[in-house]
Amino acid sequence: MRSLLRSSLLSASLMALLTVSAPCQAAPRQPGELAWTIHYDPKTFDPAKVDEQASELVRYLTGGVLLRLNRQTQEPEPQLAESFRVSPQGTLIVFKLRGGMRFSDGSALTSADVAWSLHRVLAPATQDPVADEFLSPREVTVDAPDKLTVRVHLPRRIIGVGKIFDEIAIEPANRPSEGRVTSGPFTVADYKRGQYVRLRRNPNYWRHDAAGVQLPYATGLRLDILNNREQEISLFLRGEYDLVDALSPDYFALVAKKSPQSVQDLGASLNTEQLWFNQSSAAPLPDFEKAWFQNRGFRVAVSQAIHRADLARIAYDGHATPAFGFISPANRLWHNDDLKYAHESVADANRMLLASGFHLSGNQLYDAAGHPVKFSIVTNSGNAARQKMAAMIQQDLAVIGMQVTIVPLDFPALIERLMHKQDYEACLLGVSNTEPDPTSMMNMWLSSSPNHQWNPSEQTPATEWEAEIDRQMQAQASSPLRNERKRSVDLVQQIVADQQPFIYLVYPNVLQAVSPQLRGVQALIVSPGPVWNIDAIRRDDGRDEKGSHQGGAR
Amino acid sequence: MKNRFSAAVLVLMIASAALALRLAPYNYASQDRDAAMAPSTARHVTGTDELGRDRTVRVAAALLIGLAGAAAAAAITTTIAAGIGVLAAFSPPWATAILMFVSDAFLSLPWLFLLMMARSLLPLTASPLETAVATFLVLAAFGWPACARAVYRGATALRSAEWMIQGHACGLQPRQLIRLHLVPHLRPLLLPQFLICVPVFIVAEANLGALGLGVGEPMPSWGAMLLELDNSALLARSHWVFLPIVLLVVVLLILESFTAEVENHA
Repeated sequence: MRSLLRSSLLSASLMALLTVSAPCQAAPRQPGELAWTIHYDPKTFDPAKVDEQASELVRYLTGGVLLRLNRQTQEPEPQLAESFRVSPQGTLIVFKLRGGMRFSDGSALTSADVAWSLHRVLAPATQDPVADEFLSPREVTVDAPDKLTVRVHLPRRIIGVGKIFDEIAIEPANRPSEGRVTSGPFTVADYKRGQYVRLRRNPNYWRHDAAGVQLPYATGLRLDILNNREQEISLFLRGEYDLVDALSPDYFALVAKKSPQSVQDLGASLNTEQLWFNQSSAAPLPDFEKAWFQNRGFRVAVSQAIHRADLARIAYDGHATPAFGFISPANRLWHNDDLKYAHESVADANRMLLASGFHLSGNQLYDAAGHPVKFSIVTNSGNAARQKMAAMIQQDLAVIGMQVTIVPLDFPALIERLMHKQDYEACLLGVSNTEPDPTSMMNMWLSSSPNHQWNPSEQTPATEWEAEIDRQMQAQASSPLRNERKRSVDLVQQIVADQQPFIYLVYPNVLQAVSPQLRGVQALIVSPGPVWNIDAIRRDDGRDEKGSHQGGAR
Repeated sequence: MKNRFSAAVLVLMIASAALALRLAPYNYASQDRDAAMAPSTARHVTGTDELGRDRTVRVAAALLIGLAGAAAAAAITTTIAAGIGVLAAFSPPWATAILMFVSDAFLSLPWLFLLMMARSLLPLTASPLETAVATFLVLAAFGWPACARAVYRGATALRSAEWMIQGHACGLQPRQLIRLHLVPHLRPLLLPQFLICVPVFIVAEANLGALGLGVGEPMPSWGAMLLELDNSALLARSHWVFLPIVLLVVVLLILESFTAEVENHA
């Protein structure tokens, strides 16, 4: 017991010191190499089996694609394909390849390689998530009439051709290499589990800059596997890393103070932070609680009582934008500019609760049957901004008489409650939207989806407004006309603002830190962030390769 | 002399904390949202935390909650240990073996993980006060085995003491034996055990709090406040962030000095 006490005393005393003197050592940088971090090991380097972010980034950096979705204009741009044509019915896509292209190992890249790669993606055995975007992948046929032409025959029109072909890396026919032989800017050179992924420049990459210099400029990339923000920031400030692509708001001011020219706040992201109540009839909750959560007036009153500007200002240190809908204003193509929503007002919230059968007695709110309104909000532990928001919402809701307890849970325990047991009352979490197109959000809005969080996997829509959301989301996903799609998505945004199944809180801003030594970086709020034009980014060799950033700490 | 000084410092800290809570115009949950991470001002002497809550008030509350909770848990665990230790010493050999096996089994279990598991079984709607009570009760429930072993050894020695045998021969009832002989002789053993438990439980609560499993928000606790130290950006903004760890270390050192003193006397 005494030794336990002493070791505990020691650990408590050292806690402060550890945070300020965390050991920081990155792998040695090779000449001309760019370095940054990913937070966990990629699950695969096979470009046809990607289903998580780290693997997706490696595919983006290594895979040559027929079309690349321009992250700024959201329009498809020819890459390995010199041109492409979609038939008026949308059932035939013809790609014309560039001539003389080679893979990184020197072998020729022809239409046979493209056809083989597409067949592999479409094959059920591959289980590539991209195949589902073809709607009926088994009915898709691909042929290659000559060495530079590829034809894709579709049973029906698909939406988002640019996005789909942006995710299909072309590999050498019959020689899948897990990123070792590629037609993109880099190839996988070395991987040490838990340490780093090293990518080497593809010497046969097809792109050249305006002056005729072959791209990419960087000789290689090193993606260190590091899930420690403190260490990442420290190594960035020492010049060991070239960028931090998702800077936490806590650290923005710190980095700005030490290296002011390296930090950027790009404004609202596409991501949302939201609170929702468990409306599932199958949830193991008392019936009176289910009745609260299924009551629109209750949800709207909660929304009206929350001071979103305070959440953005305090929980995010000003680096967030108050949110009232699921599509961020940064998503200019799809945001409903005419959205009408219940504005923040404690008085209106009280009136709404009264009209919905609730009444205040002293400082406590009661329902019509006399049950005191008490509930818990679960959230994931380890997310400082989210926990601050939860504490602020706790105080905001206390003003309208609701007693809220905050329960931070580790992520597996939280997912178990949300997805399997549905044993929770309210939840505060975020949704990461990597793409602006609302089709990518289908799994969250269709009532039959297991990710329809407030009431997952409904056999039939529980309410008329959920049925309407289903109809509109299906309509936008099948219409080829942008205007029709926009009308449907606008309507869904309005239904969500009226019904508040998700009470949107903030859109966290996109914060990034980019070394002043990097040239060619173009700010971007969508995935993959500042490295979206990686082949055109280089380190300024006119300065010390290993030196600290201007104004940065050594 | 040294012990008196330590006691005086501890009493002064407790009195100051109580006074701060009584005189402050805010409670520990009040969020002054226009003064988040405020520096030291006349309004907030040691500044505020990230939510604009007065740091003096929260540290004072954490100190009192931590000390009171740990002392109560230590009293409970010492009582449990005394009961089990004495029972084992005066039971038939088979019962002694079972009791000591259970005690050893508890000692060999991963303590922190058990605490985390037990604490996480609390209902989600438990109020902050209930979480505080539950946290310290859980600590008390898991803290007794080491202490019970020590009590068992002491009670076994007493059982075969000549004056115990004489008392028994004189016709004293077991209750009288316990009151007149056992308890007075075990007291020098139980007091250090109690004093050892108090700082251990304070640190255990801080560990649980740092893992998000301690006292629930918005009630302050050492663990929750120490979490601020895990963020170098905050450390750069205010040195008052170090106040909880400094006070925690001072309190632990004082309690440690009490234990050392009592053990020396024993």
